[in-house]
Amino acid sequence: MKCEWVKENVLLYVYNELPDDARYELEQHLARCADCTAELKTARKFHTMLSELPVEEPSPNLVAASRMRLQEGLETAEQGRFWHRLIFDPAAWLRQVRFAPALAAAIFIVGFAGGIATTYKVVSDRGASIASVPVSTPAESSITGIQSISQDPGSNHISIKYNTVSTQEAQGSLNDQRIQQLLLFAARNNYNSGVRMDSVDLLTQEPNNTHVREALMYALRYDSNPGVRLKALDSLGPFVKSDPRVRDVVLEALIQDSNPGVRTDALRLLDPVRADSSVRTVLQELARSDQNQYIRSQARIMLSQLPEFD
Amino acid sequence: MAGQASGRIDDTMLVREAQRGNRAAFEELVRSYDQAVLRLALHLTGSEHEAQDVYQEAFLKAYKSIGNFRFECSFYTWIYRIVTNLCLDHLRKRQVRKEDAPVATDASGEQYDVLDQVPDGRSGANPERDLMRRELGKRISHALEKLTPRERMVFELKHYHGLKLRTVGEVLHTTEETAKNTLFRATQKLRGALADMR
Repeated sequence: MKCEWVKENVLLYVYNELPDDARYELEQHLARCADCTAELKTARKFHTMLSELPVEEPSPNLVAASRMRLQEGLETAEQGRFWHRLIFDPAAWLRQVRFAPALAAAIFIVGFAGGIATTYKVVSDRGASIASVPVSTPAESSITGIQSISQDPGSNHISIKYNTVSTQEAQGSLNDQRIQQLLLFAARNNYNSGVRMDSVDLLTQEPNNTHVREALMYALRYDSNPGVRLKALDSLGPFVKSDPRVRDVVLEALIQDSNPGVRTDALRLLDPVRADSSVRTVLQELARSDQNQYIRSQARIMLSQLPEFD
Repeated sequence: MAGQASGRIDDTMLVREAQRGNRAAFEELVRSYDQAVLRLALHLTGSEHEAQDVYQEAFLKAYKSIGNFRFECSFYTWIYRIVTNLCLDHLRKRQVRKEDAPVATDASGEQYDVLDQVPDGRSGANPERDLMRRELGKRISHALEKLTPRERMVFELKHYHGLKLRTVGEVLHTTEETAKNTLFRATQKLRGALADMR
């Protein structure tokens, strides 16, 4: 009777899918039953034999080629639905801009890939002209890249060259919504790190705003260029104490950024919050085992300035 | 790089970022799953070309529908579901194709499917043993083809890719019990088909 049960479950046993108590019982039975032991042997043999059709690891070439092909596919993939989840809240933006100081402005993240028909108004607290950009069809408003960004020295005037079907130029101040959208797009998406640097640079002039701050945090986390990351980091630094998200992102940079300059800067900027438990834990780990000597010693110094408890 | 031990950015964050349309975040996600996906597709289809097609379709599909992912299961399960469904489609198409598939005969008089290309990366010093291995591999491959697409899928996921039966059930939108029974059936069929192999 038991043999029947065992024979039914031997397959699961071979696959290590039996719960512990069943497995125990089965093994106990096998110790006493030659028949079932033979059955197990057969099952195991069969199991092993099936490996004559082994699972091959995909070759690096295949992986690389597949990734590249996917990237191309993603570029042309239909993104329509995503971009409707705008973080932008027009009413809030307008409210904010009205009371914002000179250079401040509400900035929001809007995707441009594939083109979007959007309408937006630009309102400046200085009472400058209210410009309304008309709704454009997707084809017309599809931006393929930002070509360059420049700011006239000593003025609010910013010039951004971006490409759609042909190169176009947008001019305006940092208040200008269109300018802001393009800056954010550039910060996130441009392949040219110099352009990304310029856009992050301009954005750092107003890190108070949530959306700008998010763009800067994104740049610190994901930008491939350490100079851009450093710029974003320095701009976020003052907010480490007031904004826990900023603190966490800076902590992350300290832990895992590949550039030592970014890491040392992050460490320095975390000083005001060195008493926070998460920061303290990281400092302890760094003091103990970080490969970078400067970071190790700095972490030790910062820890020594903390009151002892726990 | 010091600090690598602290691990990669959390999947959940990447998923949320990807849902906001962040392509870089999506690509980062892809990188953690794509080898497993390729491995599965490669072993199942036996062809690099078809594996790549499955890969492409799977991740494009994931990209387009990630907005609908509500964290009701793990991302791992979600991705495997997409890939598995595509693999099932592939297996069903293959079954239909098989009726008119070009068939050839090899040196030993065995019929084999010209479309059946099992990539064999193992090159040994013993060509005779290699040949025997290849023959065995082919026979197993043929036996696997006798399973229904679902049976094949369950067997593939369990035996060749080590997924727990519970996960297999989740991936196929069914219960662990059903997955278990399917595994039994599949194994019985295979044992029958390969009975003379020692």
